[in-house]
Amino acid sequence: MKPLKLLALFVIPLGIIIAAVPPDRVKHFRLTADELLQEAGAGVQFISPDVVADMLVQKDPSLRLIDVRTPEEFEAYSMPGAINVPLSNLLADEYTDILNQDAYMNVLYSNGSVYANQAWMIARQLGYENNYVLEGGLNYWFGNILSAQAPAQTSPNEEFALYDFRKSAAAALGGGGVVATEGSATTVKAAKPAVTSKAKKKPAGGC
Amino acid sequence: MGPLAPYEIISENTNFLLAFFIGIAFGWVLESSGFSSSRKLAGIFYGYDTVVLKVFFTGAITCMLGLLFMSLFGWVDLDLIYVNPTYLTSAILGGVIMGAGFIMGGFCPGTSFCGAAIGKIDAMVFIGGLFIGVYGFAFTYGWWEKLFFAKYLGEPKVSESLGMSDGLFGLFLIVAAIGMFAVAEWAEKKFPREEY
Amino acid sequence: MSNTTTKEKSRRYLNPYLGGVLLGLVLLAANFVSGRGLGASGAVKSVVATTIEAVDKDAVNTMPFMAEYAESHSGSPMRSWLVFEMLGVIVGGFLSGAVAGRLKLKVEHSPKITSRRRLIFALAGGILFGLGSQVGRGCTSGSALSGMAVLSLGGFITMMAIFGTAFALAYFFRRNWI
Repeated sequence: MKPLKLLALFVIPLGIIIAAVPPDRVKHFRLTADELLQEAGAGVQFISPDVVADMLVQKDPSLRLIDVRTPEEFEAYSMPGAINVPLSNLLADEYTDILNQDAYMNVLYSNGSVYANQAWMIARQLGYENNYVLEGGLNYWFGNILSAQAPAQTSPNEEFALYDFRKSAAAALGGGGVVATEGSATTVKAAKPAVTSKAKKKPAGGC
Repeated sequence: MGPLAPYEIISENTNFLLAFFIGIAFGWVLESSGFSSSRKLAGIFYGYDTVVLKVFFTGAITCMLGLLFMSLFGWVDLDLIYVNPTYLTSAILGGVIMGAGFIMGGFCPGTSFCGAAIGKIDAMVFIGGLFIGVYGFAFTYGWWEKLFFAKYLGEPKVSESLGMSDGLFGLFLIVAAIGMFAVAEWAEKKFPREEY
Repeated sequence: MSNTTTKEKSRRYLNPYLGGVLLGLVLLAANFVSGRGLGASGAVKSVVATTIEAVDKDAVNTMPFMAEYAESHSGSPMRSWLVFEMLGVIVGGFLSGAVAGRLKLKVEHSPKITSRRRLIFALAGGILFGLGSQVGRGCTSGSALSGMAVLSLGGFITMMAIFGTAFALAYFFRRNWI
């Protein structure tokens, strides 16, 4: 085939592709300060502990828990399946592939949410996606999921549903001092659809 | 990820070292394509050798497509890629003067270095002329200064000025180039051709 | 006529489209690595600035050209991307010529004119091109080729001016080439 025809056959389709793709797809690698401020202000990075609990119970393979505390604290206690990426060492080469990826949903946690949030901001500024912060951190996790408090009798039904869900989740995750009651299995099933659809939407966001 | 130097992924010294290697590749490709020969270079203006047109536009298109696709995949941040500024007066005037220099000398700076590297004496003389010309500009800078900074339009892209997306303009450019190549090949058949 | 010799010799040069693609890839590499395209006249400018400064230490204050140059470049003028690139170009051109057996000290000119005439025009052309590249903020490599690849308006305008003028003047210099 004549070289010119070969060249034309190659570049014209490429030109059509590049012309057809809308320019918005051409995205920035790093966020500007404005963009970061907007995202941080809106709190898009937070993920509810109930969602995480559900993913753990479902054994959702896309979830990856990341403990940003020190290795000593990590040794003492860590959430099921969590890996340790200490905040002080966050930018080390070995962790780049963990933080900068699009296969898993990384949920960063620390005792409260300050350190996890710091880690998220640093990663976000570098343009990394799919990182989230566990709302309330381990403190909230222990206090409200693993040791869920029964709501007052006059509370709305949703709170009962939430309580039952948390009890079963805690039981499944080996939490402290919860007695599973009958009927919790059915209530858990009712709570599930609402929770799972939320979880599926989250990874798509933050683009 | 890229461009590497502006993001400080590589140091300035690494950048200079890579500049050297990129230059080697540049020189090699130019010479292998025949750009070390002033007669081949001038051929486009008389129809007997259209190598300049083909290499030039194919090169521009290839790089353009490469940058646009890399940006699409998120491998390069186009905002950090240098876009030549547009100073209308000097762009045109400078181009006219260079055009005259091109048809008389048969070289441009890059190709003259290639030609000199393989022993072409006319290329070496051309380079000597380059230095004289630049010195001349340096010493007469006062005359040029006003028009040198006249009509500054910023760093617009042609696509922006025409109000279309980069990709769409790219497509037009590609089609135009292929058209020119077809005409060039017709011209080469029509005019006698001797290899230099 | 001399068809066989034409074909033999042309095999020694790359197919222009292939050369163009390779050139585009080199340019792409330059952009990806350094964020800027290729160039040539800038290196000449750096050498000129260096020699002026060497001869006249106070030139930055007395010559507006030097002052403007110092503003846009920090450090030694020779520590410029283009200077390193052009050193590479010389090496690359030499290597390619060596491999292809094209190394020969000669004045290349049309058989219809003398060497002397060719050299006079080469000098004149060089002077004009040197001047023009400074006014136009780049030469065919920096402004036209690299400028086109990033879709710069200024680059396109300069390119059209260069080629347009050369085409327009071609008739007057035809005896030098054909």
